[in-house]
Amino acid sequence: MLTIEGFKQALRHAQSEIEANKDTLTDLDRAIGDGDHGINMSRGFEAVVAVLDDDYATLGDLSKKVGMTLMSKVGGAAGPLYGSAFVKAAPKFGDATEADFNLVKEALVEAATAIKARGKSEVGQKTMVDVWDPFLSDLNESDDFDAKLDQLVGATEDMVATKGRASYFGENSRGTVDPGALSSSIVLKAIMKEVE
Amino acid sequence: MKEMAPSVPIHLASGLEDGSIGTDVTRILEAIEAVDKEALILSDIGSATMNAELAVDMYEGEKTVQFYDGPIVESAFVASVSAGNGMDVAQIVEQLKMA
Repeated sequence: MLTIEGFKQALRHAQSEIEANKDTLTDLDRAIGDGDHGINMSRGFEAVVAVLDDDYATLGDLSKKVGMTLMSKVGGAAGPLYGSAFVKAAPKFGDATEADFNLVKEALVEAATAIKARGKSEVGQKTMVDVWDPFLSDLNESDDFDAKLDQLVGATEDMVATKGRASYFGENSRGTVDPGALSSSIVLKAIMKEVE
Repeated sequence: MKEMAPSVPIHLASGLEDGSIGTDVTRILEAIEAVDKEALILSDIGSATMNAELAVDMYEGEKTVQFYDGPIVESAFVASVSAGNGMDVAQIVEQLKMA
């Protein structure tokens, strides 16, 4: 069950993991993007942690607040993408104060749909969609979430980017893990850990 | 552009709250609020474009708000001169598509 307190804990955990991986995210983005992903995600999730001290009546309220915070604080492309994800997940959580595996999955599917729409991207373009979409498409409660996410992040290494700044690197984008895929796995791991 | 079309209000919505590089959708929404009736939003690259589209989706007011995805300097030039000549946003976007 994901409770409001559990959701908050997941976001705090995501923030500390992003902080721990800040340089890695930035280095990956420097290789195939503009080198700001670590800094942007760090700034965004610091702002998220700051709003967690407030009280939230529902999971929907919390998710919406998190999304709005990310939208205005992240700065780079990750802002509208992660922001839209949490904002669009909010109505699915609705008035619930705790969510079972199925509701969390449904909310995350909404989030993934929002990311695809906002980024106008599909699976196979070496973006965060390559984590969100396949992770959710056949997700079962008994899965090893972390292993599945690690595998999906690793799979972006051999892809050629056709979307976003990384697409300017063309064939040279092969051989580097997508930074958005890595940050997505951090956020999803943190959330799934609280569902278990 | 201020010299070419002095009557056309141009609002800068770039950068973050603290002045650092990036785009903040709330600043774009504030810029929309700052105009009278119609707003044309232009952006440079990736994340700014995404934030501009997000702002258009999030805006709930009565104004006509449109985003045009094109080269920012050239588009801003054509748009401000066209607006100065009395064109509305729809006409300006048509103009930009031809340019």
